[in-house]
This record gives sequence, structure tokens and C-alpha cells, in this order.
Amino acid sequence: MKEKINLIFDEAKKKITDAASESELQNVKTFFVGKQGSLSLLMKELPKVDVSLRPEMGKLLNQVKNQVTELIDSKRMELKLKASEVSADFDCSVPGIMPQEGGLHPITQMCYDLNDAFRSMGFEVYQEDDITSEMYAFDKLNFPDNHPARESMDTYWIEGHDSGSTNEKLCLRPHLTGGSVRYMQTHKPPYRFVYPGRVYRNETTDAHHERAFFQYEALIVDKDITFTSGKVLIQTILSKVFGREVPVRMRSGFFPFVEPGFEIDMECQVCGGKGCSVCKHVGWIEVMPGGSPHPNVLRAAGLDPDEYTGFYVNIGLDRLVMMRYGVDDVRLFHSADLRFLKQFK
Amino acid sequence: MKLSLSWIKDYVDLPEDTDLKKLAYDLTMDTVEVEDVEFLANRFDKMVVGVIEAIEQHPDADKLRVCKVDIGDGEIKNIVCGGINLEVGMRVAVSCPGAVVRWHGEGEPVVIKNAKLRGVPSYGMICASSEIGLGDLFPAKEEAEILDLSDFDVPAGTAIADALDLNDVILEIDNKSMTNRPDLWGHYGIAREIAALYNLKLKEIKPFETDVQSDFNVEIDDTVRCPRYIGVQIEGVNVKPAPFKMQSRIWRVGMRPINALVDITNYVMLATGNPTHAFDATQIEDHIVVRRAKDNERLLLLNDKELELCSDDLVITDACGPVALAGVMGGAKDSILPTTEQVILEVANFESTGIRRTALRYDNRTEASSRYEKAIDPERCDQALSLSMQYFKEIYPEVKVTGYCDKYENRLKRAEIDVNLTWLEKRLGKHLTNEDIRNKLELLGFEVAINGEDMHVIAPTWRSTGDISIKDDVMEEVARMYGYDNFEATPFTTSFESAINQKDKDLVRNIKEYLAIRCGMQEVYTYPWMNDTYVNAVLQDTEGVLKLSTPPAPNLKYIRSSLLPNLCEAVTKNERYFDDFSIFEEAQVFYDRNYTSPYDETESLPEQKRKIAGAFASSTRKIETLFREAKGVLEYMSRYTHMEAFTFKKEEKPVWSDNVVWMNIYVQDECIGEMGLLSKKVALDCGIKNLSVILFEIDSTMLKPLISRTNKFEHLAEYPETDYDVSMLFDVNTTWNEIYDAIMGPKKAAALLKEAAFIDEYRGKQVPAGKKSVTIRLTIGSPEKTLTSEEIEKVASQVLSKLNKKVGGELRTQ
Repeated sequence: MKEKINLIFDEAKKKITDAASESELQNVKTFFVGKQGSLSLLMKELPKVDVSLRPEMGKLLNQVKNQVTELIDSKRMELKLKASEVSADFDCSVPGIMPQEGGLHPITQMCYDLNDAFRSMGFEVYQEDDITSEMYAFDKLNFPDNHPARESMDTYWIEGHDSGSTNEKLCLRPHLTGGSVRYMQTHKPPYRFVYPGRVYRNETTDAHHERAFFQYEALIVDKDITFTSGKVLIQTILSKVFGREVPVRMRSGFFPFVEPGFEIDMECQVCGGKGCSVCKHVGWIEVMPGGSPHPNVLRAAGLDPDEYTGFYVNIGLDRLVMMRYGVDDVRLFHSADLRFLKQFK
Repeated sequence: MKLSLSWIKDYVDLPEDTDLKKLAYDLTMDTVEVEDVEFLANRFDKMVVGVIEAIEQHPDADKLRVCKVDIGDGEIKNIVCGGINLEVGMRVAVSCPGAVVRWHGEGEPVVIKNAKLRGVPSYGMICASSEIGLGDLFPAKEEAEILDLSDFDVPAGTAIADALDLNDVILEIDNKSMTNRPDLWGHYGIAREIAALYNLKLKEIKPFETDVQSDFNVEIDDTVRCPRYIGVQIEGVNVKPAPFKMQSRIWRVGMRPINALVDITNYVMLATGNPTHAFDATQIEDHIVVRRAKDNERLLLLNDKELELCSDDLVITDACGPVALAGVMGGAKDSILPTTEQVILEVANFESTGIRRTALRYDNRTEASSRYEKAIDPERCDQALSLSMQYFKEIYPEVKVTGYCDKYENRLKRAEIDVNLTWLEKRLGKHLTNEDIRNKLELLGFEVAINGEDMHVIAPTWRSTGDISIKDDVMEEVARMYGYDNFEATPFTTSFESAINQKDKDLVRNIKEYLAIRCGMQEVYTYPWMNDTYVNAVLQDTEGVLKLSTPPAPNLKYIRSSLLPNLCEAVTKNERYFDDFSIFEEAQVFYDRNYTSPYDETESLPEQKRKIAGAFASSTRKIETLFREAKGVLEYMSRYTHMEAFTFKKEEKPVWSDNVVWMNIYVQDECIGEMGLLSKKVALDCGIKNLSVILFEIDSTMLKPLISRTNKFEHLAEYPETDYDVSMLFDVNTTWNEIYDAIMGPKKAAALLKEAAFIDEYRGKQVPAGKKSVTIRLTIGSPEKTLTSEEIEKVASQVLSKLNKKVGGELRTQ
């Protein structure tokens, strides 16, 4: 009897170890400790055993039965923790569920990228109203009385405010710089600010011309600034936009509100400066005007140009975004067309 | 502006081995933007002079001939040609295979190939002048007339560019880059700049001298508008073609040769930048008077435009009236006529702004007016006169000056500027020696006197009409002559006094990021002007809405007082492609009211605010769901953007909204916006077909950013809290606001009640008519102990009885 018990115990241990699934384990359990299981059957044979051995055999049989049950339970737990909670044929290649779609306009994205860069250098972000007077759009910026931009062909004048003296005439701002004068009038120097905003020109539109577009102005005014400091502003903008240093050059340019004035070119990012159709084979692309604010502009802002000077750049955000993504039609920015806008995440 | 390099070389000794790429680069960096450098001969690649040896009729085509053409080196080629003026012995332009031509001078360029014409092989093509871009230089009298080059005595096979002496380089300058440099508007001016940049010798133009005595006179009535006027009466001329070289140069830089008399005036303008004009002397009655026009005086211009003048126009007149619009264009009657044998040459200076006003007034800008309006110095008349007389003598050896008058009362004052050298060095960020500075300025024609720290500079006449007027201008001259590329970037020093703290800017950015990134809305930008269709549909009233004087289109005159019309337009446009989407815009709005003068007391600016508006559009979701989502976006906005929270009240229905689904939005006691369902009528007026649209608009200038994040820490509950859901029946008109107020209002239903939350609402067959079932979750707990179920039930029943008493709620039994 004792041998029989040990034999069954060994067999049970092996079968438990080999069991690969819970159902298999259940079969093992039935086979050994179920009502008709081999250990239960042995238990029924106990009365036949010699009386002197009976207590010892009964004890052993119970021990074995308990151990087998314990082994089965711990094996079951082991199998449970190993197994997956879903069926084995679950398809992990099914696409994920999209989070809610939505996004900022690509111009806003670019603007915030630049704001972050300039704020880290201690620049404030400034904002001004879109409607301004001719006095601030032109007079205070040293535009001569007869400058062509003053004519209605270039500027949107407001009905009922389109004649009279320049402080009476109102328009949708044709550029941001007039707002910078307002900033300077109401703040104490030194100045360090950026000024993103939308500007308006009355012109015929096509893939490269828009009536409403975005500019980003950066201005620094202090006592000891040379015009070469401006290069730092420019490099900040371009390295933020393109993610790496972009070679720039400053060349002579004329704008009424700066003296000296520059056209600022960057190396063509399509050909790397070798020359291609995009840059008309010169290797450089004109990206922004810049320069030191004209003494008359500083005077208009209430500063003494003998004491203060500065540097200013004004970059077309639309054009930068177009270069960043390869957008070929500027009019898409104001289209509110979700097929276009959804592309910029 | 186009410039001929060979012409420039007339005035400056540019070395033969000058690197043109470098010249263009240097000019671009230091002076003006060179947009293009074109080798003129390239246009005539693979084009040669051919001599026609024989002409035969084409066997299969009446209008075609088969020519045997000597194209040099003894090669005789068969060329089929339809020209009507073909003759044996004629020199013609032959475009060989590979040459680029334009059929009949029109359309896209075409590359010539060996071809068969009606079965006869043809080597290349005998060209008409327009086909090889020479139409303006050799105008054809008739169609199908080929270019006759018999006057050019060159052997067969000579390249066309050599035969016509077209081995020139054309520089194209961006006009915008030289609006401030009137001195550069001509070949001589550019030559002078190149001479300065490279320290080369500039050829001097000697003044014209005459000792003629006569009673010829000119009179200037307005010396401000006309500082100088030279009249020269010249006899012994006639109308004939100008020498080919003169014609060719005029043509190269983009103008059209006319006849020798007109060409001289144009040539001199292109050379010196100073326009000149010639009158037929016999047409001028008595003498020339330069004066303001009288109102309603009439003048017929050379281009057949008849003007009714006004007193702001300056005119050249004779005893009979105006003969020319000064500085803009000559009159038809008194300018060069086919019979002209005597001229009065005008070399004059006119004030820039007046010329500009007149040219624009009559929409009649010309080569002359565009130069005068840049402000030319009156001294330049001397050069223009001298060159003019030189060419008159060359072209008409018999020419005689019979009258001369130079009226120049107020001589130009050269600009004088004092520059402190310490200031200069500070601005340049670089030390230059006095000699360096002096040298650079003197090359540009400045007179320089240095005395210790002080430099006194006298600008040359050609830079003294406004271009150089302050010391910063002098600084720019020094810097550009030194070369901007040679200055290293100097970092600016920053002093940080305090951190940038711009709560208002942060708030708007937070809101935009919240809407886009957390709420899944797409930001859009629309124009500030609104389409009338959407104005009428959404705003319905244009009281107080500003208008543009010259709108982009007649139906886009209103500029926005609300973002909603354009947002509705955006919804309409997107309906074609999407059935469930949400968009928002943040932008400025304008009102014709509340004018203020925040910056300058003489200025008066209208009220301008910034708004944020959104639209939730769907044809797939229920309006009720859409509304709750939109409201959720607004309710939770404050939590994520650190501002005062919104509350909602029904006070004044927006005109565009549905009668039931709308709310006014409040911050504390101020109404800052509205939300609601776009009414069916407005949606249809907008052209929206199937979408339901929930709109909101808030005034972002009235939002109140929190000074800091202010929500307070609450201790974690020490004893468990229980959620207890109850469903109650209410009258359908009872609002959640009323229910909530009854439970949580000033007199809370039970002390141990912590919160009551809306779970859902049911209407339908399961509840009696006129009733709705609302499920409410009560959070119950005590800070002192764990509640027993009896205590919890007691709180719940207190709530139920309060609801029953206050708003007639009954426990739902099933």
C-alpha cells in the first residue's frame, strides 16, 4: 500500500509539472483527487489494510492527497499569471484609436516657437491694434509725404476716415512698425521686444501675394548697440525655424524707417547655397529687411537718437512657414480649409 | 532698370578681366540689388549671317521658296522660307539647328531642328526680326518680311552677335533697391559708384559752352517746382534714323529706338538719368514759359491722352498754351514731327513730389516722371546738356545753335553734416582710422575735414537732394564702403532686471493651446473683412460696423465686429469634406464707436477688441450632445488656463441663435460672451445644409488671468465617502440649475452632503407624460467618522424631501 501511494504521488507530481493549461490541470485533479480519483479509490481500500498499519497508511494517504491538491493549486496560479488576458489570436497590428484631432494654425505654431526663443533672451511679447492712423503708419516712421505706399493702391483705408490730415486718416495697418513706436512711447528704454501680428495690403493676390499676412518684428533699443548686433537677432530666428545655424548676409537696402538699412539674405535651404531655380541661381534668398531705427523714428518715440540706437528686423511669417513646409500657395493660410490645416500637428 | 556694361565702360575704365559675378555681387552687397546678369550674345547662339545664293519655287507650296544659302566656310544649305522680300545676294539671319526662336515673335521659345517642309529638307530657318527678338531694333514693315542685314558688311558665317556688335552684358537692377538713390538712375551714375567701389578713374563730362547771342528766352514762373530750365534752339536737323550703335544701346536696355532726334533725348536720359525733351521749334509761339496749369486747361499728350489740367500741374507753355506736361510727357502738337528741321531742346530740373502727383493723377507714369520723382539734382542738367550737344554734332555735322538760355536761380546747396568720430566708432562697433574714413568718403565724392573728434562732411551735389541728410547717412556710407560682410556679429549685452511676466499674453496662448490640443479644435485664420452674405445672415444689422473705402471686392466692405460671420463661412466651406469638426479663431474686432486717443491726443482710434470664437459642427451627433460638449469646453477652460471661471445665464438671446439653445457667458458680473445653436434660418442663409452648429464667442480682453494658480489644497478625506445615486422624476421644465440649487444652494439639504452631480436625464415611455427622470449622484461623508448605512440613508432622504418640497421631485419607483 505504501509503495502504491508513493507511486501515485510521484505520478501525480510529474503530471502536475507537465500540465500546460488550466483544463489539463483540472483533468489531473479529477484523475488523482476526484471522487473516482486514484487516491480516493485507495482511501476506499483502507479498511482492507492490516489494522496495525491502517492509521499510518490513512495518515500518509491524507498527507499525499493534501500535497497533491496544494501542488495543483499553486500550479494553477502559476498558469494563470503566465497566460494572456485576451485570446491568443489578438491582432496587435490593428491601428490605434486617434486622440481628438485639432491643432494650432501653422502660423501660430511658428509664432510661438519664435516667442519662446526670444523670451528666453529676455524679450517681451507685444501686441497692438490692427486699425491705426496714417500718422503712426507713415509719419512717425519717416515715410516722406509722397511715399507710394501711402496711396490707396497699397493700404486699406477706413470709410469715413480716408481723408483729412494724417492723424485723422485711419487704415488697417500696412506693417507692424508703427505699433513699435507706440510701444516705445509708453515704455521706458532699454527696449527688447518682439511683436507678431497681421498686416494688410491692398493688392492683387496670387500664390505669392496676399492681402492679409503675418509679420514678426523684433526690436532692441539701448545705448551701446552696433548694427552688427542685429545679426544675432536674425540668427536666432532662422536657427529656430530650421533647427540649425543658417548662414546669413546683410547687404545695403533702403527702408524709410531705418538708417542704415539692410536686406537680409539667408543661404538657400534648397540647394545649400550652390544655386538653384528657387534662389534664381545666386545661392541666397531674401528673407527680411532690417536696420537701425531711423533717428526720426526714435525721436517720434520720444528718445534722443544721440543717446539711443538699436536694431530691428521684420520677418514675413507666411514666407518662413512656406519655406519650412514647402507650402506653395500663401492664400491657403487664410482659407480656413481643414484639409490644409489638419496637416500641421 | 537695365544697364549695358559696354555703355558703363564708356565712363569708367573697368579692367577687361573684371569678374562680372563679383561685380554683380559687390554692387548687390554695397549699393543696389543686381537681379540678373545676362550675356546678350547668348540670345543669338547658333545664329549666323547667311548670304542667299539662289532662290527656287517650292514644288508643293505657292508661298514657300527654297533658298540656297551660304552660311560660311563655303557651306551652302537648302533653307525653305516663306519671306516676301527674299533676294539673291541678300544677307539674312539664319537660325541653325539648336538656336532658340519664337514663331512670328510670339509664344513659347522653340528650338530649331533640321526639318522637312512640305517634303523639302530645310536646314534651320531664315528669320524675321521679331523671331529672334530684334523686332524693336529692326521693325518689319510687313508681315512675313524677313530681316535684311545687307547693310552690315560682314562675311557669310559671321555670328549674329558679332555682326550686330551685341557682345554686351546686361545688368538688371531691382528698382526698389534704388528708390533712395536718384544719382544711380543712369549709366553714368552706376559708373561713378563702380569707380568709387573699386577706386577707378571716372570719365568727366565737360560742360557745354556756347557764345551764341540771341533774344531766345525761357521764363520760369514757379522756381520751386522748376529749379532749373535750359532751353537750346538748334537748327539744321531732320528726322532720320539714329546711328545703329545708339539705337542698339537704347534697345538693349529696354526702350524702342524712334528717330535720331527722339533717340538723342532718350539716350541722354539713359546715360545721365536726367530726362530731356525736344520740341519742334516752329510750333512754339513766342517763348517758353514754365508755369502752373490753369484749372481746366487742356493738353493732348504724345500718347493721344487728352488731359483736363489742374493748378497743381506744372506745364511747359508757349503763347498759345501748354505744350508739354512738365517732367512727364510732351504734347502731341509741339513735339518732334516728321517735318521737324529746328528744335528747342529742353534740359530741365523739376521738383520730385509735384511730378509724382501729376503722373499719378493722370495715371501716366513715364520713364521721365519715374526719374524726376526720385529727386534729381539740378547740377546734372550740365551733363545732360553736354552729352546732348555732343550727339547733335555727331549726327548732324551742320547743326547750329541759334539760341541758348539757362535759368537757374536758386542753386543747389550741398548737404553739410557734422559727425562725431567717437559716435561713429560706437555705431560701427569697429575702429577705423581717420584716413580710412576720409578715403572711403572721398571716393564717393564727399569733401571731408577732420578736426580732432569732429568730422565735417560736404556731400556731392548728386547726393544732396535728400539722400544724404543726417550723420547716420554718413555712417551708412562708411559702413557699406567698408563692406557689411567685414563686420563680425557682436552679441548684445543683456541685463535681466526682472522675469518677463505677461499674464494676458500667456492666457490667450493657454486658451488657444487648450482649445487645440485638449479639446481637439482646429485653429483657423480668416480675413478681417466679412462677406455680405454672412453679415446679413449672422449679424443682421450693420450699425456700428466699420467699412473699407476700397474693399477687396464690393461684397467684402464690412470689417468685422464679430468673428462669427467668417467662422460660419468657414463652416460652410468645410461642410463639403467633413461631417463632424470644430474650429476656432482668435482675432481683432472693430467698432465704429468709443473713439479714444491713447497715444497721441490728435489721433482718434476706434474701439478695438480681441475675441475668441469657436464653432462645433456635426451632422452625425445629436444637438443635445453637441451642446453639452461645447459647454464643457467653456466650463473647463478656466481650469486649464488659470483664469476666473465662467458662469452661464440666459439674459439676452443672440440674434443668430436658436430660440431655446443659447446662453450668455459671464465672468463674475460681467457678460463677456455668448454661446448657442445656430438657428435653422441663419444656417440656411449661410448655405449650411446638414450640419448643426454650436457657436461661441468671448471677449478675450475681458478675461481675468489669475495672478497665480489659486486652487487650494484640500485634505484627503480621513473617513470613507459614499456615492449614492438617486433617480427622481421632475416636471420637464424644471432645470438642473434649479435642482442643484435646491440641494446645494445656500441652505444645503444635509450637513453631511459634500456634492451633488448630474449623471443623466431620461425622457420617454418609461416615465409619465410631462415628466423627466434625472439621475443625481450624491457624495456623502463626515470628517469625523465612518458613516453607517442608516446615517447615509438619512442624508439621502433629507435630500429627497428637500427636492420634493422645493422643485416637486418624486422618487422614481421603477
